[in-house]
Amino acid sequence: MTSHPPHTEFQVSLTQQRPSAVTAALAEDRLGVPSIVFFVISAAAPLMVVAGSVPTAYTVTSVIGVPFAFLMLGAIFALFAVGYVTMARHVVNAGAFYAYAAQGLGRTQGVATAWVALLAYNALQLGLYGIIGSAAEPLLVDWFGGSPPWWVIALVAWALTGVLGLLRVDVNGKILSILLVSEIAIVLLFDLGDLTHPAPGGLSFEGFTPGALFVPGVGAALATVVAGFAGIESSVVFAEESKDRHRTVPIATYLGIAIIAVLYSFSAWAQTVPTGPDGIVKAASEQGTGLIFNQAAAHLGSAVSTIGSVLFVTSSIACMIAFHNTTARYIFALGRENVIPSIFGRTSARTAAPIAGSLLQTVLGLVVITVYAISGLDPVTKMFFIFGTFGGLGLLTLLTVTSISVIVFFARDSRGETTWRTRIAPALAILALCVIIGLTLINFDTVLGVEPDSVLRWILPGIFLVAIALGLVWGRVLKSIRPEVYANIGLGAQAVNGGAK
Amino acid sequence: MAESDLSSPSLVDDLYFVLHDNVTGHPLLHSRLTGLALAGGVLGELMLAEHVALDFASNPERLYATVREATGDRLTRTVLGHVIAEPYHPVGTWLLFFARTIYADVTARMIAAKLLKPPVRHLLKQQPAAPADMNTAAWPLARLNLAVQRRTPPASGDCVLLGLLAAAGCAQRVLSEHDPRFVAAATAMLPVPLQRLIAQTKVAVGQAVISRR
Repeated sequence: MTSHPPHTEFQVSLTQQRPSAVTAALAEDRLGVPSIVFFVISAAAPLMVVAGSVPTAYTVTSVIGVPFAFLMLGAIFALFAVGYVTMARHVVNAGAFYAYAAQGLGRTQGVATAWVALLAYNALQLGLYGIIGSAAEPLLVDWFGGSPPWWVIALVAWALTGVLGLLRVDVNGKILSILLVSEIAIVLLFDLGDLTHPAPGGLSFEGFTPGALFVPGVGAALATVVAGFAGIESSVVFAEESKDRHRTVPIATYLGIAIIAVLYSFSAWAQTVPTGPDGIVKAASEQGTGLIFNQAAAHLGSAVSTIGSVLFVTSSIACMIAFHNTTARYIFALGRENVIPSIFGRTSARTAAPIAGSLLQTVLGLVVITVYAISGLDPVTKMFFIFGTFGGLGLLTLLTVTSISVIVFFARDSRGETTWRTRIAPALAILALCVIIGLTLINFDTVLGVEPDSVLRWILPGIFLVAIALGLVWGRVLKSIRPEVYANIGLGAQAVNGGAK
Repeated sequence: MAESDLSSPSLVDDLYFVLHDNVTGHPLLHSRLTGLALAGGVLGELMLAEHVALDFASNPERLYATVREATGDRLTRTVLGHVIAEPYHPVGTWLLFFARTIYADVTARMIAAKLLKPPVRHLLKQQPAAPADMNTAAWPLARLNLAVQRRTPPASGDCVLLGLLAAAGCAQRVLSEHDPRFVAAATAMLPVPLQRLIAQTKVAVGQAVISRR
């Protein structure tokens, strides 16, 4: 209702120029740069991307420029982040994307954005159930001599995620940090092993050249790579819990993007070293998610490879829990605003979990696993990859809408921010994102593994258009029948307070 | 109303009883949310006693003390002392601040007042502080249930109690019958500052749920 910039206790107490016991006590609980970087990178699950997404991208798209794609996307994400973190300084933020769209473009558009975000996050979360089977299978075979079908493993992971979600167990910060550091260490070790065993042709840097990326299939490769960055946008959600919302969040965001881009790019390239750029697609197709572990076993011994496999499983599960909770909270925030039925805004009294959102996630997970198990579709290329790219496409849409919102928001009042932050960088980001969305749509047949004239390639992206259309209609309906709800769109938990802080 | 005559002097104690099992003293609500609800209870008690008020001229509305010196028992004095010392924080900030420590403080105060038995340690498991008298502990919730059942708005203290209970997301679990419309109507009869306090408690609870920690 009010458009006043929110005051934090910091601003208030700073104007008072006095030490405040209250501010000091509350500041103790606040997050610094390292904590936020840990949170956002762990949601991006490095080992899962390097072992799962990258070989799948090589297999499905046959594009060997994946390493360059990570660097390029990193640059585009950084460009996007310029406007994004600038907006975070001025908007109390609950669900980031839709809150920004609501403030920048209008509440109706905010609802549409929220629906796209719900779809995208759900897709990213559900796709993970497709990878866990192939992550755990080699280990089970190794230890017990056999492995149940992928969907049994997926159901175990599903049950674990569902229960932990209801208990509101976030993977403990310390465990998360240990897992993350070990993951990164093992990825780097694997890379080292690859580098010291180049293919007969010698080291080739072809993967880093734009020419290797911009070939037929580029769009599909880009959408996968985008999904690898998913999670990084959650940095601004911590704005209100950070030590200094003006500095902590931007630094953590840029640092997170840089680490992810460089690590993924380097590792994607390292995978091609032992096979040579010409052999990677074949190797990835044959070995799938086992590729980097087989390489590691050959170069570094089976012990290192097994440690890597174990971390691959834990990384996938940690990522599932992170995405489950993120999505459940997103649903909760929307329920709190009454944008979706208010039952979703309810909490579990005993565990303080966003109960309805969590249950919805769990039910969807069961449906998807069941459908894939019955139809016998491949869980990695048809579930993990398709859901991942579908989610990636949604994420691209969200980034574009958010960048537009940033420009519109600051066009009304620049609030002392520079033109680079409020106009130029977001505009460049929009341009780049639109090109990527276009390329992805052109290659969507490759993503799905269907004929170029298949209707399926238009149906999936069409779902987003339907979501946008329904969101816009629902926004209009809310405006006319429940204006009090409409007035609070984009305020998240604050919405129950009628917008005043 | 007969019920209100019998209401206990402390809103916070009542809230504590409502949020815990009458017999065993086991908490019914997550400790973090209990902390926020009790913080709302302490501020609500001070508002009812007209010791603190809201300044609607400022944005966000700041909480300030209307008394010069902190009086009452130790917990109330401490809380009031903080508000007197720093009269420029909004309600939301105070809720977060007091929620950190209030749960332990209220428990200690109620043990000292012989309302709760001190917690006992059985072998490995720590038993929570159980109510000294089951009937005393059950009474606040019984009042609320009666009010909801009869659809008669309770006394203002109990309206705050009901509002805070709903704000903490515990009404569904605790009340024998939860009617959100009745709760809304009951809280709407309260003075504006108390309504704001309840709304802010709901905001703080929502943020605690969304927060990743």
